[in-house]
Amino acid sequence: MRQRLTPSGGLVGEAPFDIQLTRRLYRAMVFARTYDRKGMALQKQGRLATYAPFEGQEAAQIGAAAALEPNDWVVATYRDAALMWAQGYPWELLFAGRTGDERGGSPPEHVPVMPPSITVGGHMVHAVGLAWAEKLQGTDRIALTSFGDGATSEGDFHEAMNFAAVYEVGCIFLCQNNGWAISLPRERQTKSATIAEKAIAYGMPGIQVDGNDLFAVYEAVKEAADRARSGGGPTLIEAVTYRRGPHTTSDDPNRYRDPAEVEEWARRDPIERVRIYLSEHGAWDDEWQAAIEAEAQAEIDRAIELAESMPPLGPGEILDAMFETLPPHLEAQRRELVEGLR
Amino acid sequence: MSTETFDPQLLDYSNRPPRLPSPPNEANDRIDIPLDQRMRMYELQQELRQFEKRAYDLFMQNLVKGTSHLSLGMEAVATGFAMAMRRDDYTFATYRGHAHTLARGVPMGPVMAELLGRGTGLLGGKGGSMHLTSVEHGMMGSYAIIGAHLCIANGAAWSAQMRGSDQVTVAFFGDGTTNIGAFHEAINFAAIWKLPIVFVCENNLYMEYTPIDLVTPVEHPAADRAAAYGLERIVVDGNDADEVYDTARRLIEKARSGGGPSLVEAVTYRHGGHSRADPGKYRPKEEVDAWLQRDPLTLYHQRLLRLGVPEIELTKIAQDVARRVDEATEFAKSSPPPDPESLMTDVWADGGSSWRR
Ligand SMILES: Cc1ncc(C[n+]2csc(CCOP(=O)(O)OP(=O)(O)O)c2C)c(N)n1
Ligand SMILES: Cc1ncc(C[n+]2csc(CCOP(=O)(O)OP(=O)(O)O)c2C)c(N)n1
Ligand SMILES: [Mg+2]
Ligand SMILES: [Mg+2]
Repeated sequence: MRQRLTPSGGLVGEAPFDIQLTRRLYRAMVFARTYDRKGMALQKQGRLATYAPFEGQEAAQIGAAAALEPNDWVVATYRDAALMWAQGYPWELLFAGRTGDERGGSPPEHVPVMPPSITVGGHMVHAVGLAWAEKLQGTDRIALTSFGDGATSEGDFHEAMNFAAVYEVGCIFLCQNNGWAISLPRERQTKSATIAEKAIAYGMPGIQVDGNDLFAVYEAVKEAADRARSGGGPTLIEAVTYRRGPHTTSDDPNRYRDPAEVEEWARRDPIERVRIYLSEHGAWDDEWQAAIEAEAQAEIDRAIELAESMPPLGPGEILDAMFETLPPHLEAQRRELVEGLR
Repeated sequence: MSTETFDPQLLDYSNRPPRLPSPPNEANDRIDIPLDQRMRMYELQQELRQFEKRAYDLFMQNLVKGTSHLSLGMEAVATGFAMAMRRDDYTFATYRGHAHTLARGVPMGPVMAELLGRGTGLLGGKGGSMHLTSVEHGMMGSYAIIGAHLCIANGAAWSAQMRGSDQVTVAFFGDGTTNIGAFHEAINFAAIWKLPIVFVCENNLYMEYTPIDLVTPVEHPAADRAAAYGLERIVVDGNDADEVYDTARRLIEKARSGGGPSLVEAVTYRHGGHSRADPGKYRPKEEVDAWLQRDPLTLYHQRLLRLGVPEIELTKIAQDVARRVDEATEFAKSSPPPDPESLMTDVWADGGSSWRR
C-alpha cells in the first residue's frame, strides 16, 4: 500500500506538491468536514432527508479532485460531496439534493460533475461512456468515477471496467474502500485479498493507496490521470479508508461493528496528519485554523440559506430535471398528479 | 486489440491472424483412468458428435423448430465433466446444451423429439433446443440469457450446502459470458460463500460472430479473471477429454469436501457456426482448418489406439451409436406434435397456469 504521509504527519519520500497547495487542500478538507458535520446535524433537525456522512474520507476525495484538470468529468456517489464540490458542484445544490429537491441534481452547466448516484455501481458505466465520448471526439478530457468497496461486487463494475480497458478510454476508477458496505465488512464482500488486484482481470494497472493520505491519493490519481490523458487507458485505484460514521442517518453501526475499530481509525485521521505536517513546516498555527474554520462555517451556513430559500418545487416540476423532453407516459403522469392535487 | 479496426457491420474477421490450437499432449495418455472408462468416454463423445450432426441435418431439412446451437467440436468438455459427476450432481448449461444434456444420461429419443417440437419431447415439445432440462438426471436446464444461469446455479449449490447433501453443481458458459455483469456477481458470491460449484468456461474463441479477444483485455477470458475472486487460475485443453476429466474430478472433489468453488477455462472450438445455418465464414480459414485437425474425437481415437485398443472395437462403437441415433431420429419423426391441451400447463410448479385464465 502506497503511503506518503504517515498518521503522525511524517513524510515518506518526497511531497508531491509545495506547502502552498498543501495549505489550500488542507483548508478544503476542513470545509468538507464542516459540511459533513452540518449535514448530520441538519438531518437530525429534520431539515435534510437521509444523509450519508463521509467523515474520515476527506483526503481520498480532496486528494483525487486536486489531481484532475478543472474540466475533467467526475461521476460519483451519495457519499462523495467533497469530491464533487472540489470539482465545482456548489454546496447549496448538494444540500438541496439532500432535502429531496430535484434541482439539487442539476449542476450548473459548466460544472463537469454528474449528480450523485444512489444506485450502487450504475454510474460507473456512465463515466466510461463520458470518457469514451471524449476519446471519440479527440479531446484530452478524462473521467473519474468514485465508488465504494461494496460496488465492486456489482455486475456494472465488471462491465464498466472491461469496456474501459478494451476501448482504452481515459477513465479512472477510484474505489474508496471504507471497510463497510452498510453492515457488510470488506472481508465478506469479496474473496480477493485487495480490491486493487481486481485490475488484473481487466489487464489494467491497479494501485492500492492509503486513502487517508492526501499526498498518496493525489499522486496515484495524478499518475492515472496522466496515463489516461495520454491515451494509456484506465486505472483502478483502491484508496483504503474508513467510514467513521454510520452508513446513513438511518443506520446504527453499533449493532454490527466494534467501536474500538472506529477509535483506531480516528487515530489515522486524514486531516490531522496534514495539520501536523504543515505545523512542522511552520505553515500552520491556531490563528489560521480558527480563521479557516470560521470561513468554512460561514460558507456552509450561506449554502444552507441558499438551499432553504429556494422557492419550493411545484408538484408538476419534480420530473423536470429527468429528461430534456418528457416522454408521453411521464407527461400523462404529471398531468394526472397536478390535476389530482387541484 | 482496440488498435485493430473492423467494420462491425461486415462481421468478417477472416483476415485476422489465426488463433491456432496448441499441439496435443501425448503425456495425457498416462493420466490414471481405467481403460473401460476410457472406452465409455469414447462412446459418449461419439454419441454427442453423431447426435449433433444429425441435429444439423434435421435443421437443414427444416424439421427443427426454432433455432439450435451445436457443440460440434466441443464434445470433450461435456464428456470430461459428466464422467466426473455423481448421479445427483447438478448441471447448468447454456442454449448450447444438447451435449451436456445427453452427457448426463438423458436418452437421445426424447431430446431429438424435443428439438423437433414433438409431444414425446423431453419437455413435451414446448421448450425446444434452447431449454433442455431433465431434473431427474440432474440436468437443471439450458438457459438462453447470457450469464443469468450462473446466479441460478449458485442457488442450487447454496441449497446443497444448506441441506448438507454433498451435491456439486457444474455450470457451463461461453467465453463471451465472462464480460457480463452476472458472471462477476456469480463468481464473487460463490467464492465468498464457499459454494460447492465448478464454473466451466467453454472458450470456443468466439461469441456469436465476434472473436473474444477483440473485446477482452486479458488473454484468457475466464482464467485470467480468477485472481479477482481469490481463485486458482486454471486453463485446460478442452479438446482432450482425459485432461478435462482429470481436472473435473479434482475440482468436483474439492467442492464436495467443502473446499469451495473453482473457475476453469477449457479452450476449444466450434466446428460450425454459432447457430442455425450460420456457416461461420467470418473466421480465418487457416484457423478453422487447424482446429478441425485438432478434433477431440480424432485425438481420443488415436489415444485409444496407442493404448492398444483394436481399431475394430472403435468402429463397432461408432456403428452402434449411429444405429441409436437413427432410432432416436425415427422416434422423433414419427411422434405426434404436442396436444393443444398442453399449451396451458407447466407454467406454475403445480402444473397450472392460473394467471392466463
Ligand atoms: C444497486 C443497488 N443495490 C443496493 C443498494 C442499497 N445500498 C445503498 S448503499 C449500499 C452499500 C454500498 O457500499 P459501498 O459501495 O461500500 O459504499 P459506501 O456506502 O461504503 O460508501 C447499498 C447496498 C443501492 N443503492 N443500489
Ligand atoms: C444477456 C444476453 N445478451 C445477448 C444475447 C445474445 N447472444 C446469444 S449467444 C451470444 C454469444 C455468447 O457467446 P459465448 O458466451 O462465447 O457462448 P457460445 O455461443 O460461444 O457458446 C449472444 C451475445 C443473449 N442471449 N443474452
Ligand atoms: Mg464501503
Ligand atoms: Mg464462445
